[in-house]
Amino acid sequence: MVSGLSTLEMTPPLNAARETKSLDTMTTAPVRTATAIHIDDVSVSFPTGRKGCRTVLENISLDIEEGEFVVLLGETGCGKSTLLRLILGQDRPTSGRISVAGSLVQRVDARSSYVPQKYSLFPDRTVLENLAMGPETSKYHILGRLLPSFRAFRRQVREEALRQLSHMGLQASDAAKYPHQLSGGMQQRVAIAQALMMKSRVLLMDEAFSALDPATRSNLQRLLRTVWGETKPTVVFVTHNTAEALILGTRVIVLARQSREDHCGSRVALDMKLPASGMSLRNNGQQFLDLVEHVERFSRGDHHAPSADLDAANGPYESPNAFPSNGETL
Amino acid sequence: MANLSPFDIQARPNRLLMQAFSCLIFIVCIGFYMQTSISRHRENPEDRIVPSGHQLLAGIRSAVLEPAEEDDYIPADNASTWERVHHSMIWKDTVSSGRRFFISLFLLIPAVILALHIGLFPWFGAGFLRFVLFFDKIVALSLLPILFIVFGIDEWSKIALVVIGVAPTMILDVTQMVKAVPQEQIVKAFTLDANNFDVAYRVVFRQILPQVINSLRLNLKPMMLFLFAGEMIAASDGLAYRIAIMRRHMGMDIILPYVLWVAFLLFLIDFSLRVINRRLHPWFQA
Repeated sequence: MVSGLSTLEMTPPLNAARETKSLDTMTTAPVRTATAIHIDDVSVSFPTGRKGCRTVLENISLDIEEGEFVVLLGETGCGKSTLLRLILGQDRPTSGRISVAGSLVQRVDARSSYVPQKYSLFPDRTVLENLAMGPETSKYHILGRLLPSFRAFRRQVREEALRQLSHMGLQASDAAKYPHQLSGGMQQRVAIAQALMMKSRVLLMDEAFSALDPATRSNLQRLLRTVWGETKPTVVFVTHNTAEALILGTRVIVLARQSREDHCGSRVALDMKLPASGMSLRNNGQQFLDLVEHVERFSRGDHHAPSADLDAANGPYESPNAFPSNGETL
Repeated sequence: MANLSPFDIQARPNRLLMQAFSCLIFIVCIGFYMQTSISRHRENPEDRIVPSGHQLLAGIRSAVLEPAEEDDYIPADNASTWERVHHSMIWKDTVSSGRRFFISLFLLIPAVILALHIGLFPWFGAGFLRFVLFFDKIVALSLLPILFIVFGIDEWSKIALVVIGVAPTMILDVTQMVKAVPQEQIVKAFTLDANNFDVAYRVVFRQILPQVINSLRLNLKPMMLFLFAGEMIAASDGLAYRIAIMRRHMGMDIILPYVLWVAFLLFLIDFSLRVINRRLHPWFQA
């Protein structure tokens, strides 16, 4: 398991060229090669009422490396979705800066792909049109579609979309269906396929499987692991389900609030590497359960109570590489 | 035994009974009309207030086959029925009212586009939304004299009245629809490398189009209302003009067919919009 981890760290930077190219546009934020997402001392707070102010995130600093599968874990309202929206560019941090693929995030763009929990597909397009939408619009914008070369390009994209569709375990007969004719699990399959069609190196998923029934969910988890293993994109996956986090991720980041008061935002309560080969209850048995309990203690915020068997439980993992220092300050 | 109590929510009357029952009020109304007509004609055989069936048929015949009073057209003796209908009073009025109606309908398209921008682009929202909210509160009919002064009393003042009357409400309605499109969709489109106009026209507009058409269907009646108000006050032809003129002659034998004809036309437009909506947007579930 440790060996899997070290190969991960030795992975050559896949987008080094892109990063060096964009270095001149970036002057201040320090960029290490192979850092896909760099979060530098980010805080988010918004005003409530006349002079109240609620802090959601407080001094978050993270470096997410190229090819990591990061799971953001935390209780409801701890700001994990807010952090994802910051990476996406949908929200702006109150202070601090975020860069993705080497350049600062100012607005939502095609650097990262996105799979939300709901409304992940365009309801007015068939499955095939949904899949083809990304490549089509990125090459031909609204008026470019009138060009004669567009038709040939579209045929080519549709063929690729059909390939992607069967790769994701969907039938060719589903291609002509509208999203409302698909089940929730199928819709999320299509949404992942749609995101993958863009071939961007960062994939952001916001509670993508939370609305699905357990069987469908574990199917999709397996699918996502397989897909991640093929091209190794950087994934940031937000969830509140600890077991899901351990099954999917190579790194689990727990956000938790120190106290219930408004001025006190969430911080990184735990930052833990997991074996790159993945974990499961079947393979890891009791260790898995202990780890779930360990992680949940952090996300509840009551990790001060020390447990003697913790070290034993975590023995084989490279786990406590961040939380002692961060944990003490909390 | 079927439950016949009208105040039972859980009653399950059979289909035939329901169909028959839905016709009841129509039959009652027609019967009441006929009864009034017959009793009035017993007192005065020339009564024009509640025309009898014969008078109505004669009125319809003259409206459909004979030219309007103000026209000089005299049909040739061997003119075909089509020739007569083509030069008839009701044809002339329908064409001129219809033209005003469809020109105003066409002029609502820029209003819908503006609404899309107001709902989606923050700068457009900042610039226009408050003004439209204010303008919406102005009673359009109170602007009619101003419109007559500005546009003169011919076509454009009536068209302007319809557009000014309906557009602010349409704009506010469409703006709400745009804002109701989930943020996820817009964000997703941007991550698919769409530019601003892709998002506006190929994501948001496509999604709200069926709702816009439904909103238009609801606004057909106000449009007709404004058109008729304009035509009744100042026009030299048109369906409402004829109805207003006929009031002077107590010409109920013309007025009643005209009223039903207008209702039928509106129903036809509404129905075709509904069919078009269903055909164009099979994904839309309302």
